Amino acid sequence: MQYRVTTWLSRQTALVLLALWLLPPPASGQAFRIEVRPVWRGQAIALDKAVQGPAGDSLLFHTLKFYLGHFEFLNHGATVFQDPGYHLLDLEAENSLDLLFKLPENLHFDSLRFAFGTDSLSNVSGALGGALDPSRGMYWSWQSGYINAKIEGQAERSPARGHHFQLHLGGYLPPAETLRKVVVSAAPKPRHLRLDWDLASFFEQIDWPTQHSIMSPGPAAAQAATRLAQAFRNHAP
Amino acid sequence: MRHKPVFQTIGTVAALVLLAFALPGPPPPDPVTLRYPAHWRAPVYDFSKNPLTRQGIELGRRLFYDPVLSRDSTVSCSSCHLSFTAFAHVDHALSHGIDDRIGRRNAPALMNLAWARHLMWDGAINHLDVQALAPISHPDEMDETLAHVLQKVQAKQPYPRLFWEAFGDSSATGEHLLKALSQFELTLLSDRSQYDRVQAGLDTFSRQEQSGYHLFRQYCARCHEEPFFTNFSFENNGLPLDTALRDLGRMAITGQAADSLKFKVPTLRNIEFSYPYMHDGRFRKLREVLQHYTQTTAPGARAELSATDKADLTAFLLTLTDRAFLFDPAFGFPLEK
Repeated sequence: MQYRVTTWLSRQTALVLLALWLLPPPASGQAFRIEVRPVWRGQAIALDKAVQGPAGDSLLFHTLKFYLGHFEFLNHGATVFQDPGYHLLDLEAENSLDLLFKLPENLHFDSLRFAFGTDSLSNVSGALGGALDPSRGMYWSWQSGYINAKIEGQAERSPARGHHFQLHLGGYLPPAETLRKVVVSAAPKPRHLRLDWDLASFFEQIDWPTQHSIMSPGPAAAQAATRLAQAFRNHAP
Repeated sequence: MRHKPVFQTIGTVAALVLLAFALPGPPPPDPVTLRYPAHWRAPVYDFSKNPLTRQGIELGRRLFYDPVLSRDSTVSCSSCHLSFTAFAHVDHALSHGIDDRIGRRNAPALMNLAWARHLMWDGAINHLDVQALAPISHPDEMDETLAHVLQKVQAKQPYPRLFWEAFGDSSATGEHLLKALSQFELTLLSDRSQYDRVQAGLDTFSRQEQSGYHLFRQYCARCHEEPFFTNFSFENNGLPLDTALRDLGRMAITGQAADSLKFKVPTLRNIEFSYPYMHDGRFRKLREVLQHYTQTTAPGARAELSATDKADLTAFLLTLTDRAFLFDPAFGFPLEK
C-alpha cells in the first residue's frame, strides 16, 4: 500500500510537471501577424491560374518565391523593435506567407521597414541554416549568392520558347546589388497587417523582348528588384 | 487507496514523456584544432562559424567519398579529387562526371583551403562551404540537387547518427552537410614537404634544388607566393585562348574586360602529382609548362631559362611534394572501424 501511494504520488508529480512543461509560458508581449499576399490588381494570385494583362493578354505564375527579412517597427522614423531574421515566402506553401512577430507589450509604431532580398553579409558567410539553407533552392550553385526572388511562369507576350518567363533576381555586389528596403505604414491595432505585393504594374511595364529571362546579377536584375520592391503596400492603411 | 485505471495510464504516459525529454542529447563533439606552421598567416576561413570537430570531419570525409551526392550514385567528390594525387584528377585534362560527360575545366588539387579566398578557376565561389553546390548541381558533374541529396542521405545509415553526433541534429540539413564537407576539406593540410622541412631548419636543399629555388624566386614567386605557392589571385599567364572551350576565365564573373583570360593562380605544392596542368589541363608534363613560360610574351609571365635552369627549377618544384599529405590515412577512403 505504501508503495502504491508513493507510485501514485510520483505519477501526479509527473503529471503536474508535464502540464507545466506543455503549457505556454505566461503571456508577455503581443503577437503581430503580417499576411503577405501576392496580388494582381488587388486580386490574390494563385499559381497556374491566368491573370489578364492591360491588352487582354494572359499571364500565369508557376513559381513565386522570395525573401523578406530584417523587419523593423518604426515610430516617427525611429526603430522601436526589430527582428533580424529572414523569411522565405513561397506561394506554393501558403503558411509561409504569414509572418508572426512577438512584440513588446504596448509597442507604438506607425510604420514597418523590411528587406526585400538578403543582405551582402549573408551572401558571403558560407552555409547558413533555416530560411537561408542552400537546400531551399534559392542559392546559385555556379556562382555564390542568393536568388532573392524567383518568379517563373508563362506570358502570352513573352517571346521565349513556350512563352515562358524566368526571373531569378539576385546579386549582392555593387553596383548590381538587389537588396531593397521597403517602408509601409502600419499600426499596432489591429494586431495584423495585410501586405499586398501587386505584381501587375511590374509585368505591365516589363520589356518582354529583353527581360523574359533574367538569371544572373546585373543591371536588369537590379532594376527589376527596385520595381518589385515598390509593389508592396499596406492593404488597409 | 483506489484510483481509476485511466489515471494510471495518464501517469505512465506522462512519466515516459518526461523520461524521453530528460534523456541527454549527444555528447558534445570532440573539438579539433587545425595545426599549421607558426610562420603561416592566420586562415581566412572563419572557424567560429563552423568549429572543427572529430565527428564533423569524419562525417565530411564519408560524404566526400560517397557517390550518394550524384544523381545516379556513380560520382563522388573523390572521383575527380584523388587523395594520392593531391586531390587532383590525374591524367584527365578536363574533369569528367556523370554519364562520362566532360566538363570545361581541370579538377584542381585540394589543399590548404582554409586560406583560400575564392574557389574555382574563375573565383565564382566566395566561400568554401558553398563550393560543393557547384559540382553537385552541375549537369556534367553530379547532376543532382542539394535538396534531393539530403533526402537520400536522411534515408541512408548511418548518416542520421553521424549528423546527430556531429551537429546534435539527426536530420540532415543543407547547412550541416555543407559544413561537414568543409570540415574535412579544411583538414587537407600540406605542410610536410622537403621544402617545409628546409624552412623549419630540419633539412637542406641540394645544390641543384637551391639553384632552382633561386630561379623560382626570380621568376615564379610573384604569383606563386610562398608559403602557399599561390597569391590566391587571378592572373593571365599568357596561355592562348582554347578556341574549342572559349573560356574567358575571371571575366565571366566580374564582367570586366581587364579580367579576360585571368584564372586563379594554382598552388605548386605537390605539383609532381597534380598533372595535367593549367585550367584546361593542356600540359601533361612539367617541361611543357616551363616551355610555355620561356616562350610566352605575356607581361610579367616570361622566364628566361636555360636547359640547366629548367632542370634546376624542376628539382626545386619536386621538393614541394608532400608524401605525408599524399598518403595520410586520415584523408583516404573511410574504412569501417
